[in-house]
Amino acid sequence: MKPGDEPKTVNGVEGPAASSRPGPPPPAGSPARHHGVLILVVERDPHIRELEAHFLDEAGYEVEFAKDGHAALEQARRLLPEIVITEILVPKLDGLALCRQLKGDPKTRSMSVLVFSILAASGRAAEAGADAFLLKPLAEHRLVETVKALMNRRRQLEGRSGNE
Amino acid sequence: MSEAPRDAGQGPPLPRLTTGNPQLDDILGGGFPANSINILMGEPGSGKTLLAERLLFANADEGGRPLLFLTTLSEPLDKVVRYLQQFDFYDESKLGSAILYDSIGEELVEAGVSMLVPRIKEAILQYKPKVIVIDSFKAIHDLSTSVPEMRRMLYELAGLLTAYETTTFLVGEYSAEDIARFPEFAVADGMVELARNKLGTRDERFLRVLKLRGSSYQEGLHAFRITSGGLEVFTRLVSPVEAPSYDALTQRVRTGVEGLDQMLSGGLFRGRSTFLLGPTGSGKTTLSLQFVMEGIRQGETCLYVSFEENPTQLDFQIRSLGLDPAEARSQGLHFYYASPVELQIDSLVTRIFTTVREKKISRVVVDSVGDLMMSASDPQRLHGYLYALAQHFAVRGVTSLFTYETLPSGTALDARVSALSDNILLLGIELEGSRARRTVRVVKARGFQHDLDVHELRITSQGVEVGKR
Repeated sequence: MKPGDEPKTVNGVEGPAASSRPGPPPPAGSPARHHGVLILVVERDPHIRELEAHFLDEAGYEVEFAKDGHAALEQARRLLPEIVITEILVPKLDGLALCRQLKGDPKTRSMSVLVFSILAASGRAAEAGADAFLLKPLAEHRLVETVKALMNRRRQLEGRSGNE
Repeated sequence: MSEAPRDAGQGPPLPRLTTGNPQLDDILGGGFPANSINILMGEPGSGKTLLAERLLFANADEGGRPLLFLTTLSEPLDKVVRYLQQFDFYDESKLGSAILYDSIGEELVEAGVSMLVPRIKEAILQYKPKVIVIDSFKAIHDLSTSVPEMRRMLYELAGLLTAYETTTFLVGEYSAEDIARFPEFAVADGMVELARNKLGTRDERFLRVLKLRGSSYQEGLHAFRITSGGLEVFTRLVSPVEAPSYDALTQRVRTGVEGLDQMLSGGLFRGRSTFLLGPTGSGKTTLSLQFVMEGIRQGETCLYVSFEENPTQLDFQIRSLGLDPAEARSQGLHFYYASPVELQIDSLVTRIFTTVREKKISRVVVDSVGDLMMSASDPQRLHGYLYALAQHFAVRGVTSLFTYETLPSGTALDARVSALSDNILLLGIELEGSRARRTVRVVKARGFQHDLDVHELRITSQGVEVGKR
């Protein structure tokens, strides 16, 4: 993917090529798909977009992309993802403002927001109402574990509200 | 001479990646900052690949993320791996699982430099490597058809390597001129240069940190040797940050020669340095041995560093003073002998300093500084070392005696060397007709009254004795 590509889903992104090179064999079988779990990633950097797409797809999630805050807000309202992962430094509407708007709108406030930034701003992210914060660079295990933890929390909350 | 550590600024401390070498980690302020892009540069045979390999084996952890070593066009992969097996740190069980070696030379030749970014991306997606080494990165330039192509590739590569949590080492036969010429230096967070200085029958090797973004590091040239364990690094000795406490340095230290103590109105001061000058045969080594044996009598731990007389010869001299060398050893006398042909000041100074610190030495003799000078390819460097050594001794309250051989005719001593010491004692041999006699004079005694006269010095079966003029 080149800089400036339109946001796209992970479908069509090439996975690791089959190879006879030395190394651990790829994980056997494909991971369980979390059907219907959609994650909206708001990210300007094409490398991070591509890596996030790969690792989240590998973990079984559906991914949509937005490359600025306005587009992200529009897509969030339209697609109703369960999780929004946003960088703070994105054009038009920054990630923290986006988070505040999502949390202030009844239609989107239940979405979990993960702020994933190059800025060490966990405090500001929490103030903006974010559910989690991760500092870049991207480490797939941290990213995937955080997403899983957010999903577990959502399922617990859903279970609780379902019992009431 | 002292270097204040440069502040790395605000923000959380950077996680570090060990090099597998404690001294080098120390120079780097704790290791290479993780998730950085680093260049290891130096001429062929300078030890840069070895440094990278040692680092890989030190960080290889079973079950963790693998480490990736990619060769390009400088050396065939088989050759790299064959030589690797000669080293102590080589561990076959790590290869192919925790450490992955691969060659991308052929692909580069076939597809050109533009294949590198997709290839590295593929490797990241497939292996999720904690460390990526590309050796030689400089060789990739030879395949580039244009400067813009190379710049574009590097921009993309830097973006990719910054996005992902991995630490990268670009290894190359770069020279100093390449730093301004090649775009990889602009994207590098760290640069370490390895150099070799050919000196007659032996080589001096040095490494130097040129840049380490977001971290303090120890500047200047640090000597190293290549051993079966990788690089053995001798951190450049710099002056201590704290100043010697002169209040604590008021204790008198007896020299072991009563007449000399009288000339010095009671002896030398603890923690001070003394240069003992004189021509050959004037009694420098005998007086120096008496100085350490007096220390042993006073219950001090002492170190005698000799470049001329080996331990057997020194034992003989101690016995000729009527003393027992084995007993002296058991009471705390340490010898350190280095053959003049193997002298390298960096390793010597490091060993002297380490011994003094570890054995809690309080008296040191270095016999002689002249031998050190002959071994030093750079007199300025020796001067810096002696100064730093004397300062460290002062801070630790270690009383030091440095011998220096003069020509029979004169006392010509480098003015800078004399400025290094607190005290200067001059031994001489005077001829009166056909009769020769030994003499001693206190040329300089910093901060205390002393006898200015020339006194006669005799060497007897009890050692040196100083009489009246």
